[in-house]
Amino acid sequence: MAGKRVDSILSTKLSRRGALTGAAAATAAFAVGPGFVRYAQAQSSAPVKIGFQAHRTGIGAAYGRWYEKTTNAAIKAINDAGGINGRPVEVVIEDDGTDPGRGAEVVGKFATQHKVDVAYGTLFSHVVIGSAPAAGEAKLPYFVVSEGHHVASTKLNRYVFQPGITDVKSQIQAMAPWIAANAGKKVTQIFPDFAFGYDHRDYLPPALKAQGADVVGQIAIPPTESSFTKYFPQIPADTDVIYHVMVGPAVLTFVKELGEFYGSGGPKLFGFIDSLEAVDINSPGLEFLDGSHFWEGSPRYAQEGDSEAQKAYRAAVGIDANGASVDDPKDVSTAAHMFGCWETLYVIKKAMEDAGYKGPEDRAKLVEATEALTEFAEGPEHPQGAKTFDGKIHQCFGIQNISKVEGGKLKVVHKTRIEDGLYEPEGDYTTQPL
Amino acid sequence: MSGRTERGNEKRKQFAYGLVAALIGVALLLPSQALAHASDRGHVLLLPTGYYVVGGACAVAASFLAMVLLRRPRRRAVAAIRLAEVPAGLRIWTSLLSFLMLAVLLAAGFWGSRDPLSNPLPLTVWTIVWIGLTLVQGVFGNLWRWIDPWYGPLRLLAPILPAPRRLPSRLASWPAALLLLAFAWFELVYPAPDDPYRLAIVLGAYWLLTFAAMATFGHAAWSRQGEFLSVFFRLISAYAIVSERDAGGRVSITAGLPGTRPEASSGLSLSEAALLLAALASVSFDGFMRTFVWLGAIGVNPLEYPGRSAVVLPNTLGLSGAAMLLSSLFFACLAAGRGMAGGGPRLADLAGRLVWSLVPIALAFHFAHYLVALLVNGQYALVAFSDPFSLGWDLFGTAHAPVMAGIAMGSDAAWVLWNLQAGVIVLGHVAAVLVCHSACAAIYDDRRRALLVELPLTVLMIFYTVFGLWLLSTPTGA
Repeated sequence: MAGKRVDSILSTKLSRRGALTGAAAATAAFAVGPGFVRYAQAQSSAPVKIGFQAHRTGIGAAYGRWYEKTTNAAIKAINDAGGINGRPVEVVIEDDGTDPGRGAEVVGKFATQHKVDVAYGTLFSHVVIGSAPAAGEAKLPYFVVSEGHHVASTKLNRYVFQPGITDVKSQIQAMAPWIAANAGKKVTQIFPDFAFGYDHRDYLPPALKAQGADVVGQIAIPPTESSFTKYFPQIPADTDVIYHVMVGPAVLTFVKELGEFYGSGGPKLFGFIDSLEAVDINSPGLEFLDGSHFWEGSPRYAQEGDSEAQKAYRAAVGIDANGASVDDPKDVSTAAHMFGCWETLYVIKKAMEDAGYKGPEDRAKLVEATEALTEFAEGPEHPQGAKTFDGKIHQCFGIQNISKVEGGKLKVVHKTRIEDGLYEPEGDYTTQPL
Repeated sequence: MSGRTERGNEKRKQFAYGLVAALIGVALLLPSQALAHASDRGHVLLLPTGYYVVGGACAVAASFLAMVLLRRPRRRAVAAIRLAEVPAGLRIWTSLLSFLMLAVLLAAGFWGSRDPLSNPLPLTVWTIVWIGLTLVQGVFGNLWRWIDPWYGPLRLLAPILPAPRRLPSRLASWPAALLLLAFAWFELVYPAPDDPYRLAIVLGAYWLLTFAAMATFGHAAWSRQGEFLSVFFRLISAYAIVSERDAGGRVSITAGLPGTRPEASSGLSLSEAALLLAALASVSFDGFMRTFVWLGAIGVNPLEYPGRSAVVLPNTLGLSGAAMLLSSLFFACLAAGRGMAGGGPRLADLAGRLVWSLVPIALAFHFAHYLVALLVNGQYALVAFSDPFSLGWDLFGTAHAPVMAGIAMGSDAAWVLWNLQAGVIVLGHVAAVLVCHSACAAIYDDRRRALLVELPLTVLMIFYTVFGLWLLSTPTGA
């Protein structure tokens, strides 16, 4: 029922201050807002408070802006449909400066000062890792949207969840069958020489091996490098596919130099859109990517077969057919990741409803209710696609998209199965005391 | 005094100043179609920035050669156009209004949104005042004098305040110089300068301390020696096209060519020179601390920036190092030039005259480095002003205006922005060479000695042009 209502609401244009205006705004909205009638039945209930740990400043700010827009849109949809357990939802936003030190501070503030019900929304892995102990200590459920493997590794704690976006280990593993079957059997990886690159370096080879393909070369590029031509002769001559996951300001230079190195020929290219998230795929220097393939969590460009839920989600968040802001076509969204905010908020809603959540005293019940979730059906609440959830490792697993750069757009040519990305759990959070 | 001339190429100098001011003015007034995202450095890396660096250095060198080769014109008076005359008492009211706004902003900092992009306090302090007002002052004169939030309250309380005590003159403007460095540290190194609550505490404390100092030593004395914004804004507006003069209870506001005002050629104290050097060093370090070079040097992976709280110590050392290095270079150049010219005024006096040449450079750096922030965060500020306490208000009809971050994104914007930034950096340095030349010509009667004394400083300016352009085109990660 909630879903149906969301559909009708999603067509309403959302202003950026619609939901994230703080306590006073939420209170004012109750008196005059469209949700008044519905909330009236639960007037004695205070709002459900969600502490949004946002990268508003620092290196994550470009992502943070879209995470905020998506959060805003989802909260509006949830509130317009009656809130959670009949209570309105209020978001308390705190900037962490994309800084793990401040991240821990912010989580502490959420628990003691703002007294939120849950903390939510962190993207950058180092901030998640820096903040998780504070969440555990405060016994504050902490829902991250980071795609890092840190939650599923079970090295954090029982209060940390990632139910809205598949982790990177699963994403990489899910790429292997398609690469082996369609791109080639001999793969050379080019990755930045630090943790982000190591995930790809470590998780891809065994997954490819299982599909009868091999990594024939691994080229680690120092993070401070800004010219790449000298590394290209290391690419083995028999390479069928170059698997690249470069990040940072020099990505465009990397692609341009790779194009100059190979001219019109060369191996096929497969990349992760993380390299070019929020960057126009038609930017000068990226011409060599034409015809190559990318992983996308959720497609940036509107696709022919998009579901109604996907269309409604895009309209609610305010992105056009090219994945850019409807108000500002130059502002390309972080489409491959930000859907995770939308879906995570609906998971919080579901878990709170399952737990009969009333307030901070029910946080342990909320943790258990979240752990008891097993799957999310595709629909308005999960527009990216169906997912399963493993309560032991607090991680969801969804389908992934493989898109081809074609005519200046990314066209989805393959959707993986959830099973492609499943792996043996590395531990069990549910054995930890609450 | 607007007709005051110096020996040297006055006419050309004035034309050049006018051109610089006009270009900066035009750039400020450009519609918002053209600005690059800070993380859009990737697009800049693909531009032929190396040619700009070489070209910029050549342009600055050529401007010096032109000074060497061109004949000195005769002295000629240049008239200033009188724009308006207002009662001096108006200043009390504008200051009180500013004080009132500050109070509202502080309240917003304490009780408004926790989001630094929704709360008007951090947006006003960092974007509107520190970035915007500095540039406005550079072009349109010392507005700060009218809106400093202490003057009005002090005048109102004057009847009950004791007579001001004398502030020791040997303190000079050192308190202001040190406070400016502290401010720069808070802006660039402190982990959370944008946090509304913490900013409200710091700003509130600064207002109170300054108020106490002004109540003790008098508004005029502390504004000259201790309040860093008053000193900085006064110095940075020395080459503005608008100036004002107090005359018998009225203030006469005039427009004239930059560089024709007397205060822009009087000697500054060593402490004022240090303040200008610190200001330029801090903007320079703001750019430098984000480069791969600096991050690599302090052992930080630029693609995995650990956040400000992890680099407080290296950046504190870096900021103070930058101020010391720039000051040392400046004084070394002066000493070398003075030596080559066979003596002249005391080094400190020479510095006081020639440090004015840093004003156009500081303005150019300010413009180039903060342009994107001004354009994007300026929009957030407009939104926040309509609803300062996040109560759902829409005071000015802008509360729901979409923030167009895209004006600074993509390759087209990067191209336009880079050209604007590079153009202003080069023009700023050309203007600096002109200021330096005219100051030297005023000090030394002998043309050859004047050229010798300015030669090392000119070399420093050519180097700083290269450095400035490099800062804007090298990979950054923080």
